[in-house]
Amino acid sequence: MSSGKSFAVLGLFDTPDALMGAIPQVGAKKLGALEAYTPYPLHGIDDALERRRSPLGGMVLVMGILGAITAFGFEYWISAIDYPIVTGGKAPSSWEAFVPIMFEVTVLFATFTAGLGMLLLLNKLPFFGHPVLSSDAIKAITRDRFALAIESEGEGFDAEAAKAALLAAGATQIEVLPEPDRGPFLTSDYILRVAGGIFAACVVAGLAMYGAVKLFPVLPPMSHMEDQPRLNAQKADPFFKDGFGMRMPVAGTVARGYLPLGVASQDEAASLVNPLPSSPQVLAAGKKIFHNRCELCHGALGNGVPTLTAAYGAKPANLQAQQFRDYPDGKIFWAITMGKNAMPSHAADLTETQRWEVVHYVRALQRAQNATDEDVKEAGTR
Amino acid sequence: MSQQNRSTTNLLRGTLAIGAVGVVAAFLKAGPERFWANWLLWFVLLFTVGVGSLFIVALEHLVNAKWSVPIRRIPERIATLLIPVVPIGLLAIGALPVLFPGTRPEALHNKILAGKAFWLSLPFVSVRTVIVLALLILGLVVLVGGSLKQDQTRDPAFNIRARKFAPAFMAIFALAITLVAFDWISGLTPEWYSDIFGVYLFAGAFLGGLAATSLAVLHLKDQDRLEGVRKDHLYNLGGFLFAFTVFWSYIGFAQYMLMWYANLPDEVIYFQTRLTGGWHVVTVMLAFLHFVMPFFALVTRDAKGDGSRLRRVAYLMLAAHILDIYWLIFPILPGGPHFSWPEASFALLFLSGAILWVRGALQKGEDMPVGDPFLKEGLEFRL
Repeated sequence: MSSGKSFAVLGLFDTPDALMGAIPQVGAKKLGALEAYTPYPLHGIDDALERRRSPLGGMVLVMGILGAITAFGFEYWISAIDYPIVTGGKAPSSWEAFVPIMFEVTVLFATFTAGLGMLLLLNKLPFFGHPVLSSDAIKAITRDRFALAIESEGEGFDAEAAKAALLAAGATQIEVLPEPDRGPFLTSDYILRVAGGIFAACVVAGLAMYGAVKLFPVLPPMSHMEDQPRLNAQKADPFFKDGFGMRMPVAGTVARGYLPLGVASQDEAASLVNPLPSSPQVLAAGKKIFHNRCELCHGALGNGVPTLTAAYGAKPANLQAQQFRDYPDGKIFWAITMGKNAMPSHAADLTETQRWEVVHYVRALQRAQNATDEDVKEAGTR
Repeated sequence: MSQQNRSTTNLLRGTLAIGAVGVVAAFLKAGPERFWANWLLWFVLLFTVGVGSLFIVALEHLVNAKWSVPIRRIPERIATLLIPVVPIGLLAIGALPVLFPGTRPEALHNKILAGKAFWLSLPFVSVRTVIVLALLILGLVVLVGGSLKQDQTRDPAFNIRARKFAPAFMAIFALAITLVAFDWISGLTPEWYSDIFGVYLFAGAFLGGLAATSLAVLHLKDQDRLEGVRKDHLYNLGGFLFAFTVFWSYIGFAQYMLMWYANLPDEVIYFQTRLTGGWHVVTVMLAFLHFVMPFFALVTRDAKGDGSRLRRVAYLMLAAHILDIYWLIFPILPGGPHFSWPEASFALLFLSGAILWVRGALQKGEDMPVGDPFLKEGLEFRL
C-alpha cells in the first residue's frame, strides 16, 4: 500500500486560535499545500488558507441557465414545430405554458450540478482511504483538536522541514502520513458488496411489504386497480333503484342531428321536400350509397333485377315502375327511413342528409331510364 | 445634526411644499378619479412599506433571530410610517364612492355585485379599514414601543413578551394585508377576484420593507452610527431581497398563468387591460425592474454582501415597488398609463413626507436596541 514516500505532515494544535496563528507562519515557508482539519467550521479559515473561491456557484448558474434553455427548446420544438396543436385556444408557441417546466428543469440541472459537481468533480469522490482518515490523529481531530497538514506537492517534499515548521509554529503533536492508496475503487470485492447490499435491501423491503399486506390487511398498499367505485355500462348495479348501471335518457330526449320527421305515415311524408340541391356532388354521394346499400336488391338501374333475386324469396320493388316514378320525394325518403315490406329501415345506417342524397340519385336513375327527346336535347346543349 | 443633513432636510421640506401645492391643484383641476387613484397609490405604498418593516421586526421575534438584533431599530423606525398612514387611510375613504363600483347604488342591479353588496358597501369597507389600522397600531405599540422602552429599562422580559406576541401579530398581519389587498386594490374591479392577491401584495410589501430597511442601514453605516454591523448582516438583507424577488415573481406569474390558461372572461380581463395598449410596456417594465434586474444583480455570493450594490438594488426595488402599486391601481383609469403633473406632485409630497418622517425618527434615541440581551450575540454574527 505505502510506497514509503510521505504524503503529508500533520501537526495537532490545542485551540483554534493556535491553528489560525500557525497558518501564516507555516504558509510563509512554502513547504507544500496547506490543509486544515477541524472538528467544526472555523470562521475565516478559508481566507487564511488562501483558498480559491469554489467554482461551484458559477457551474450551478451556467447549468441552471442551460436547463432553462433546454426545457424551452424541448417544449418549443414539441409544441410549435414537431406536433403543433392548438390547446384551449392558445397558440402552439405560447411561452407561458413552458415556464413551469423550464423552472423544474432549471432546478434539476442546477441541483444535479451542485450535488454531483461537489462530490465527484471538486471533492474527487469516491476516494477511499484518505491518509488522514487512517491516521492516529483522526480521533482527536473529530473531537477537540485542530490539525494543520502540509501536503506534498511533488518530488521536492521535505518531510523533516515540514515537521520542524509545524513544531516551530506550536504544534503539540506531529504525525507523518504515508502516500494514500489511489488504486481503482471499482474492485470486484467492492462491486460484490454493493450488489449484495442492494439485493439484501430488496429482500428486506419485499419481506416487509409482504408482512404488511398479510398482517395488516386494513391498509392494502396496492389494489391493482380492481376496486373502482364506478358504474359499469351494460352491467347491473345496486346503486340505483332499478338495478341498472346505465341511465335511461329523459323522456322526449332527441339525439343531436336526428330531429323527428314530424310525419306519421308514408302518405303524410309526401309533403316532405328534399332539402338538398341536385348537384353533381350530391348525386355522386347518392350513387355511392345506392351502390353500397340499395343495388344488391333493387339492381344497379333500380329496376328490381339484381343478382340476388333468384336466391332471395321476396321480390324487391322495381323503382322504374310508373307507381314509383310518380312517388313524391318524401315517400321515397319515408321508405328508406322506416323500411317497407321486407326492406329494413336504414335510419340507423344513413343520416338524414345521406338518405336525401339517395333520393336524388333514385330520381336521376328514373329519369335516365325514361329519357325523353327533350332530355336528350337538353343534354346536347350542355 | 450636521450642516449637510440640515440642508437635505430643507430641500425635502421644499419639495414637500411644492408637492402639497400640486396635490391641492390636482384636487381642484385633475378630476376626482385621478386625484383619488393617486391618493390610493400612496396610501397603499406607505402602508406596505410600513407594514413590511413591522413584519421584519415581528419575524425576528417569531423565529428568535439573533443576527438582525443590531439592525432591528431601523425597521422599527420605518414601521412608524404606519402612524401617518392612519389619517391617509381614513381620508382614502373619500375614494370609495368615486372609484369603487361596489359602493355605488347601481351595483345592486349587477347580479355579481348584488351578492357581495354588504361586503363592498362603504360603511363595511370603512369599518374593516379602521379595524385593520387599529390592529396594526396595536402591533406597533407592543413591538416597537416595547423595544424603545427597553432601551431605558434593559428589561429582558420584553423579549419574552414580544416572542409571545409575534405569532398573534402574524395573524393580524395576514388579515391586514389581505384585507387591504382585497378592499383597496381588488375592490376597484369587484367582478374580478384572485385568491392569491393578498399573498401577492405581501410579497411586494416585504420587499418594500426590506429595501427601505437596507437603504436606511447603509445610510446609517455611512454615518458610522451602526458600529459592528458588518458585511455578514448586509449579506442576510441581500439574501432576503434576492429570495423575495423570486417569491414575488413566482406569485405574480402563477396568478397570471392560471388566469391566462383558464381564459375565463371575468378573470382574464384583468390581464387583458394590462397587456394591451400602453400598459403592455409597463407590464414588461415591471417584470424587468421587479424581477430580472434585481435577480441577476444579487445572484452571486459577493453581490449580496456588497454594500454599494445592495444600495443600488434597494433603490431599484423601491422604485419597482412603486411601479407595482401603480400598475395595480391605475389601469382603472381609461386611456392608458397616466403620468403627468398630478402624479409627480403626489410623488413629491408623499416621498418627501415619508423620507422626512423616517429621517426624523432615525435622529431620535439609540441606533441599536441597546437594552436587548441578544444584541452582543447579534453583533458577533458571522455567516
